[in-house]
Amino acid sequence: MFSGGGARENSYGVSQMKRIDCFRAMAEIVGDALVVTGAGGNTVEWSACRPSDGNFRVRTMGLVSSIALGIALGLAKRKVIALDGDGSLLMNLCSLPTIANKNPPNLIHIVLDNGAYESSGEIKTATASGSDLVGMAKAAGIKKALWANTIEDFKRAVSEAVKGNTLTFIGAKVELSRAEVPPYPIDEVENKYRFIRYVEKTENIEILRTSLPASYF
Amino acid sequence: MRTVSMLDAPSSARAILDGLKEAGVNLIATLPDINLRDLLKLVETDRDIIHVPLCREEEGIGICTGAHLAGKKCALIMQNGGLYNSVNGIVSTLLHYQIPLLLLIYYAGDVGDRNFSTTGAMTEPVLHALGIRTYILRDPGEAKVLIRRTHVLAQDYRRPVAILLTKDVLGRRSPGE
Repeated sequence: MFSGGGARENSYGVSQMKRIDCFRAMAEIVGDALVVTGAGGNTVEWSACRPSDGNFRVRTMGLVSSIALGIALGLAKRKVIALDGDGSLLMNLCSLPTIANKNPPNLIHIVLDNGAYESSGEIKTATASGSDLVGMAKAAGIKKALWANTIEDFKRAVSEAVKGNTLTFIGAKVELSRAEVPPYPIDEVENKYRFIRYVEKTENIEILRTSLPASYF
Repeated sequence: MRTVSMLDAPSSARAILDGLKEAGVNLIATLPDINLRDLLKLVETDRDIIHVPLCREEEGIGICTGAHLAGKKCALIMQNGGLYNSVNGIVSTLLHYQIPLLLLIYYAGDVGDRNFSTTGAMTEPVLHALGIRTYILRDPGEAKVLIRRTHVLAQDYRRPVAILLTKDVLGRRSPGE
């Protein structure tokens, strides 16, 4: 599988990028967007590129895009980015028509497609033999859905989506490799609280209230 | 079985939605069942509620989790078959991260229902195994107070809490049922 450095080609003949290079490029332009990441390489590599309490790590395979949709619906004026994987999205493909149906203009759904269940032993996914996730997003009704084939294309697409106000789906073919980055620094419950406190602070809203008094009943 | 206060299906649906709104719920994800029809029609047209129609119930677990992180108060309305579809999300998101969520589940296969007896048989055991506190709503007159209390309990417990909606509450479609 590995050709020993340099750009490789996938089954479409599209050159592949390194995921961490996509994230480094993105980190410069997404500002304080809330970013939801899936299990595996997406989470640790993104956290290394943009450490922030505005990052939320998902542990249920497939639910990255759904959780990002929920945040986007709850905070209509805040940019929300889902960093999905091909295996993850394939497990929750019905998320695409649901997202298309709600059409949140502040949601950016990015799929880093390496054609494999990387964290689960690098077994191939259906995209390795031609299943086209951008095609599926378009067919589901997401009007702005595109492949980014170079780091420059990717950065431009993300930048446009961040500056604009249109639901956007971006696919990027990436190499099957994981960068040497530190492990995720906090556990899931702490991630939840930090994320909520970050939203409260940056949106100036109250989310976690103290319990109602017993006399309420 | 005790006598219940009978309401017609639209009135029951109204009582359930009013209960949700009084509890502060403002985002509801749904997947239809014929017995939920009147309730879902009300949810769909209510201007105070963000309604998210689902294609599969587990994505509703994710959507409600995200909305909770963003400050929304959520409910997920589905059939008990949808509960089974949602189990991984319930375990590795709701329970693992301690996310409150009100689950309104149509109790297909309950006593007094037909055709889903196996689905019905597993419903309470599965909820019990997941540690989800479960309340069965048989009297539509109790809908508002039960919904309000279970919503508060879910927030307090920081976990999902389930209400099983029976045919007595949602309305029987033929007199012989």
